[in-house]
Amino acid sequence: MPGSRQARLVALKGRIAALEAGARTPTPVLRFGEPAIDGCFPGGGLPSGCWHEVMGAGLEDETAAAPAAFVARLTRPLLATGAVVWVMRRDDLHAPGLAGLDFPTGRLIQVKARDEAEVLSVLEDALSTVGVAAAVGEAEAPELKAGRRLQLACEKRGSFGVLLHRRPYGGAAGRARTVSGSSAFSRWRIAGAPSQPPPGDPGLGPPRWRVELERCRGGRSGVWILESLEADDGPHSFRLVPQLADHDLATAGGRLRIAG
Amino acid sequence: MRLGLHPGQKVADALALAPDLVTVEHDPAVDRAALEALSDWCVRFSPAVALDGDDGLFLDITGTDHLWGGEAAMLADLLARLARWGVPARAAIADTPGAAWALARFGARFGDDGQIAPPNGQRALLADLPVAALRLDATATAQLPRLGLYRIGQLLGLPRAQLAKRFGLLLTLRLDQALGAGGEALVFRRPACPWLERLAFAEPISAPDDLARATGDITALICRRLEAEGQGARRFEVTFHRLDGKAMSVRAGLARAGRDAARLTRLLAPRLDVIDPGFGIEVVTVFAGDVEPLSATQARLDAEAGAGLDETLAPLVDRLVNRLGEERVWRADPYESHVPERALVRRAPLAAPSGAGWDPDRPRPVRLFRRPEAITALAKVPDDPPVQFTWRGRAHRVRRAEGPERIGQEWWRGDFATTGPGRVRDYYRVEDEVGGRFWIFRQGLFGGDEVPKWWIHGLFG
Repeated sequence: MPGSRQARLVALKGRIAALEAGARTPTPVLRFGEPAIDGCFPGGGLPSGCWHEVMGAGLEDETAAAPAAFVARLTRPLLATGAVVWVMRRDDLHAPGLAGLDFPTGRLIQVKARDEAEVLSVLEDALSTVGVAAAVGEAEAPELKAGRRLQLACEKRGSFGVLLHRRPYGGAAGRARTVSGSSAFSRWRIAGAPSQPPPGDPGLGPPRWRVELERCRGGRSGVWILESLEADDGPHSFRLVPQLADHDLATAGGRLRIAG
Repeated sequence: MRLGLHPGQKVADALALAPDLVTVEHDPAVDRAALEALSDWCVRFSPAVALDGDDGLFLDITGTDHLWGGEAAMLADLLARLARWGVPARAAIADTPGAAWALARFGARFGDDGQIAPPNGQRALLADLPVAALRLDATATAQLPRLGLYRIGQLLGLPRAQLAKRFGLLLTLRLDQALGAGGEALVFRRPACPWLERLAFAEPISAPDDLARATGDITALICRRLEAEGQGARRFEVTFHRLDGKAMSVRAGLARAGRDAARLTRLLAPRLDVIDPGFGIEVVTVFAGDVEPLSATQARLDAEAGAGLDETLAPLVDRLVNRLGEERVWRADPYESHVPERALVRRAPLAAPSGAGWDPDRPRPVRLFRRPEAITALAKVPDDPPVQFTWRGRAHRVRRAEGPERIGQEWWRGDFATTGPGRVRDYYRVEDEVGGRFWIFRQGLFGGDEVPKWWIHGLFG
């Protein structure tokens, strides 16, 4: 009887979902303020109490500058409620640069770990601490078990975890460790995008990133160009750049989503 | 002694008396190191130990003798332990350092054991001792017997003004110090600190579990005392004293003063594996430093709601600092310098904020390389930003550029070659055609001895 089998499957799925949710109250979400992006997430925004993978495109997987800037902009609204712990192996993160992205560096605790395992364990420790709103770790892709531990640490206090994938200095390019499957809520790939200064200005415009949401649990993926928004222009960190005439994205094919 | 040898004898004379005598060069540095090691060991008797000259130690045992059941028992224990290790020693206990010094060096001639002066009884005991027991300079020590003044008792009856005039103020000062009429400052090897607790075991312990338990017990002791007096401490040092006299310590630091024994034990426990118990550990001491008043706090049920940010972060910072080391956990604060790599200073994460900020009109990269990397650049005109540059084997065509921002070195920090005009940097912020944003600079001026070179110093995200 296919009908009853179908119904039983639905009922079972519902029970699994209820188990997974546990006694969790609906977690607060981090909104981008753009319906085109927020619509991709099941809760209308990136939820806290989960961890997210961010990786750089091309050369950026070793320098990790654009992903770091993106993460700084992304976590900026969270800093009103606590501190951010940034765990890395190479201490080339430059606080004045983050301050230039309106990131309150007075609430940034930087930790230099000795190896990959230590990055993950410090990240886990930070995520399960009261008063830490977000924690960022720079490491290679973690094993499945380590990722699961991160997820449990995030759920403990509802912190926002970010794992910035970064190839160790001097490591072979294009041979990044790949781990199939992950307990991360979402995976992002960040690259710089050409900026557009106001007309008549010869210099550089506000920074722009080509942001690709590769994977999102229970949501959709997408590609957008985002521009950093000045603090005076509203509570959100990013502005969606209309991309109808962009060459790079036209070649990206059908995954492009057209905004507004 | 039987052969006619005595201290101070010339080596040639001594060798003539005893041809097979083993002689060793006097090495003051080694003697000093040995004395310092001995003084560190003496901490098991009292935290206040001061070195005295080349061959003496002062121990301030105020308030610690009861741990041995009295001064006599303590002195006997000290001498017995020293004798067991072959350290010939004489000791005395008195109200004042001066009197104890005199009794230890000159009083012991009349008896083998250490002498204990009863409270306020040093006057009678000192009266019989030679004047050399007063720690005077060489001329006074030599001159006094020549005038018929052999004993300290003889000096006590003489008018002070005459004595001071004749032998210098030092004489009356030393007399007063020995008798307790004048104060004497001792320089203790570690600052005098009442925050010391001690735990002695009937049987030496060596099992790792026992060490952990002893650590928990002793931190609980000191924390209870801190709480009773409304204080908290930021540094804790637990020292394990081995049977053979070696002492090993583990330390823990807190970001803010605290007295939570359970937390301290958790911080200390992972470090106990460096402790080598040897034949066993007989005494454990704990020392609390940076003690400051700490108001009593009640553990709240809604701790998460009301606690300040710093209070909740402090345990995390402590864990990280104690695990990774202080230099690996920091917060970047602005520093008054226009040179980019010097513009920040690392502070403890929970230090008071400085309030200053970086200049928002001077954009700085998100990643700053520790060492700028050389690039090859092509510019149309020497003073222009480059139109193309090659970094790490990859060519970047510059689409937009901003600059230059001229940054000179701080001339007051070094000589002309490292800070002069040859080191002036012109920074440009450039963007290539795929959107990478770089911070590159040209070092040096045209027309100088060296051709200016291009470097990349950081990346904007």
